[in-house]
Amino acid sequence: MKGGVELLLLLLLWSVESSSLSPPGKPVLLGCRSPEKETFTCWWKPGSDGGLPTEHHLYYERERLEGTHECPDYRSAGSNSCFFDRKHTSIWVDYVLTVVASSALGNVSSDPLKFDVMEIVKPYAPENVTLVVEERPESPHLHVTWKRPSNTDPRSGWVTIKYQLRVKQENNNDWKSYTSGTQTSFSLYSVSPGAAYLVQVRCMLDHGSWSEWSNSTLVKIPNYVQSQRPFQMLVSIFSAVPVVAALCVLVTKWKYVKLCLLPPVPGPKIRGVDVQLLKSGQSEDVLSALIVSQNFPSAVTRKDQMEDYVVVSDSSEWLLPASSKSQKKKKSLIIPAGFHLDSKLQWKASSQAEESRNETSDLEPPQLPSQKQTFSGANSAAANLHTGAPEKPVQPLANNGYVDIQRQESMQVDYSRVKEVNGDDVLILQKETLSVDVQRRERRGSEDYSRVKEVSSDSVVLLQRQNDCFCKEKGNHCCTNQTPRIPHVTGPSSVCTDLSGHSWTSEDTPSETQSGTSSQL
Amino acid sequence: MVDRVAVGAVWPVLVGLVFCGELTTVDAAPLCTNAQAGCHVLSLANLFDRVIQHSARMHGISNDLHSEFELYFLPSKNQIGRVSRNCHTSTILTPNGKENAQRMAREELTEVILKLLVAWRDPLWHFHQGLAHHHDFNNFSSNKSLEMSDMVHELRKGVQKVVEKMQTLGIISNSISSLASPEVLLASNSAEWRLMKDYDLLYCFRRDSNKVQNYLKILKCRIVPEHGC
Repeated sequence: MKGGVELLLLLLLWSVESSSLSPPGKPVLLGCRSPEKETFTCWWKPGSDGGLPTEHHLYYERERLEGTHECPDYRSAGSNSCFFDRKHTSIWVDYVLTVVASSALGNVSSDPLKFDVMEIVKPYAPENVTLVVEERPESPHLHVTWKRPSNTDPRSGWVTIKYQLRVKQENNNDWKSYTSGTQTSFSLYSVSPGAAYLVQVRCMLDHGSWSEWSNSTLVKIPNYVQSQRPFQMLVSIFSAVPVVAALCVLVTKWKYVKLCLLPPVPGPKIRGVDVQLLKSGQSEDVLSALIVSQNFPSAVTRKDQMEDYVVVSDSSEWLLPASSKSQKKKKSLIIPAGFHLDSKLQWKASSQAEESRNETSDLEPPQLPSQKQTFSGANSAAANLHTGAPEKPVQPLANNGYVDIQRQESMQVDYSRVKEVNGDDVLILQKETLSVDVQRRERRGSEDYSRVKEVSSDSVVLLQRQNDCFCKEKGNHCCTNQTPRIPHVTGPSSVCTDLSGHSWTSEDTPSETQSGTSSQL
Repeated sequence: MVDRVAVGAVWPVLVGLVFCGELTTVDAAPLCTNAQAGCHVLSLANLFDRVIQHSARMHGISNDLHSEFELYFLPSKNQIGRVSRNCHTSTILTPNGKENAQRMAREELTEVILKLLVAWRDPLWHFHQGLAHHHDFNNFSSNKSLEMSDMVHELRKGVQKVVEKMQTLGIISNSISSLASPEVLLASNSAEWRLMKDYDLLYCFRRDSNKVQNYLKILKCRIVPEHGC
């Protein structure tokens, strides 16, 4: 009996010795965490138990709290943890925690852990992360929504939650992060149709640590672009048709289009210049046509240049077939623009001429309506030459005959240089030519020309027969002794014969007969 | 004879009171009335948002500075003997949790905020001075400390404006003691903070700035909850 008990004890001792039981190993405090800044939990890792059942106890000290206290709750947070509820949690005070492992062979304390709850704030991940694909024809986007962690309380202002989310494509490994601020929703616009995306969200309280990432949510963007293609094609076709049509029209009717868009530029037009004259190419004519000089030259008649003649006839033979033209066309006289209506411009004429001129006064011509054409501008002056002394017979003109105008007493203003009759009273003469006594002209008006029926060729002027009775009717001094003046027409050339207002040039060759110049003034 | 002495004593006292009264009112700038031209009237919610943002920034800076100091000094956090940290503001009673803060009256909470801000003005200024002379620290820290010191000053003025606005709106009573209260003055003049080491000072300020931020947010969501609570 005694031997059996001793044997058992020996066996026990031997077994104990051989199993090398030891006091418990030192536990390690892993850390603490406060998910909402109102409670916190601490975890530790126990050391080896040394073969014996060991117990762990957590003790803490706190600032502004006397004594050492033990953990209020070992269970709520799982094994090897300690949960501090609201009653036991104080912010902005230091905690010092220690875990003691105790077994039959002794106690071992861990290293103390000192912290302030404000430093260990780390929330849980956001909840209910939902992804919705917003399908809009132009821009599909991904709308992400989530909920704050359930235990936090931002409404009282105790904590401010900030969120962050990250996105990546299914096959990719590149996450792209976005900050959402305090909003619990976010819209992602950079999504491509047909791809699948993974989204995760996390949050942070005040200045604490970030939470873990939420679970990944997968979403696939549908591929709906194809359904839009026929529509787009139709639209593009319909818009192209009018464009093509417009192009065709443009190409075929190019000329009209060109005319419409780029109208031809009208040629230059110089007042007083006859294009035909320029074309005919007589240099002298051109020069004279173009010269518009203010300085009227001294009124010196050069005898040699006053070889003008005018055909005066009162027979109707001289009615040229072009008479009809004269009715319609306006004849014009071109007068040098520098013509000064100036009494200075005098005829230097023989005294005889002077006298004769003085004697004569312009007949007040009856303006025969059929013949009358008003002077107005270069192209509209009608040359009505007043013939004087219709009673005086005029020899009919031969083909190239001239009339000795001198026969007619009525003398004559030299109209050779008349270039233009401007208005009733104004004659504009050429530069080199003699001046006409315009003043007298003025006084008498255009009556002097009233007799001209037609100027039909270079040297032919058809005058109207002046009826006495007509004169009488008028009751003016047209029927006095005064004879009308008849312009000298110098040279056979370029008496105004047509509408274009040729000048009556005076540059005739000196070889012109002087016979007709006795009527010079 | 007694009368003359009394009068002689009263007169300078009166003058002194008037003078002091003027001094104390200098700090508080008048709020705009509605009709003043060029004066933008801020709502109470707006004012609250501004001071809260300000306090958040202040706390962020103090956090950064504290981390920097930890890098340099690596103090042992687990010294058992340092359970009771000797912050010079320990004398000011502050709520330690959400419920406590919510239970506190508005006036009390506001006073606590102001007391804290007043208490930190001088210590931070001296801390910055000390840092500027110390060439161990880089300019970054020195700038941050200056910024921190300025911010405390500005934040105090901002909170005062909020208080005035609340008082004009009748939200809180006028029972908040003026800033010239003796206990406050004592707190800032106490030499306790001079004994604190730089690291401890930074730690204490980090904590107090967090308190100020939280208290302001609680006040705001209690008084003007419609904006962002």
